[in-house]
Amino acid sequence: MSGYIEAGYVIVFGSLGTYALSLVTRERAARRRQAPPPPDATSGVPSGQASSGGERS
Amino acid sequence: MRADRALRILGLAALAGMVATVWLGLFVTPNAVGYPDGTVRLLYIHPPLAWVMFIAYGMATLSSLLYLWPRTRHVRFDRLAGASAEVGVVFTGLTLVSGSIWGRPTWGVWWTWDPLLTTTALLFVLYLGYLALRNVPGEPETVARRAAIAGLVAFLDVPIVFFAVSWWRSLHQGPTIDLATRHSYVHGSMAWTLLLGFVSFTLTYVWLMAHRYRLAALRDRENDEGLGAAIADRWAEAVR
Repeated sequence: MSGYIEAGYVIVFGSLGTYALSLVTRERAARRRQAPPPPDATSGVPSGQASSGGERS
Repeated sequence: MRADRALRILGLAALAGMVATVWLGLFVTPNAVGYPDGTVRLLYIHPPLAWVMFIAYGMATLSSLLYLWPRTRHVRFDRLAGASAEVGVVFTGLTLVSGSIWGRPTWGVWWTWDPLLTTTALLFVLYLGYLALRNVPGEPETVARRAAIAGLVAFLDVPIVFFAVSWWRSLHQGPTIDLATRHSYVHGSMAWTLLLGFVSFTLTYVWLMAHRYRLAALRDRENDEGLGAAIADRWAEAVR
């Protein structure tokens, strides 16, 4: 086989793999940002009572 | 969730198809007379890439039409058009690169201003512009409407690229499978491997587009929630 064939296959599948990986990673990151915080992240406050700005006044 | 499971199965099927295409294309299929250094093996990836490019832009155009049609207007068609066009741009870029790699040992040059190559490069630039336009800030409905119109304009080049190989007998070889006469210029294991390439690249397109669509939906929700939180903060400040 010539180097052209290997180069073609590596570039095509490498690029598709990288693009697929970037999509999955970005989707997971977006899901994580939108997920509600776990109960222990609010130092023991049960979910539903945790609030970011409700006690400011 | 059922959708997640279906998407995972689709991804695995696409991956298996890709692996089989590579194995058959590189190690099983015979070499062909007239192609230097066995470069005919690029046949199993180059036409399938171009095929997906046409499907992706076709889907983007159909979605744009459905968005522009008042009775079917919905944000999901705008997302679908954007997702399909982005995947189409990736496949167009790879079609150009794989063609260039094939052209160097066959024609002796990396690039030539052949009608098919030129119109494909123009298509790539047109849809890059379309994606750039989608990122220009504005009211969501305005952005979606102008993107849909731009998508329809960009699609005008697609039939030219599709028929360029038949209209102009130039440096680029004619179609491997002539759809008009239903005649195939490849046979046996080469034809089956090419067919497998078409199927697995199409499955890959569907999988990529589904993930891109979901990402767009998540980002839209994020923006909506961010806007809602900002409005709530302003109200709280005004009340204080």
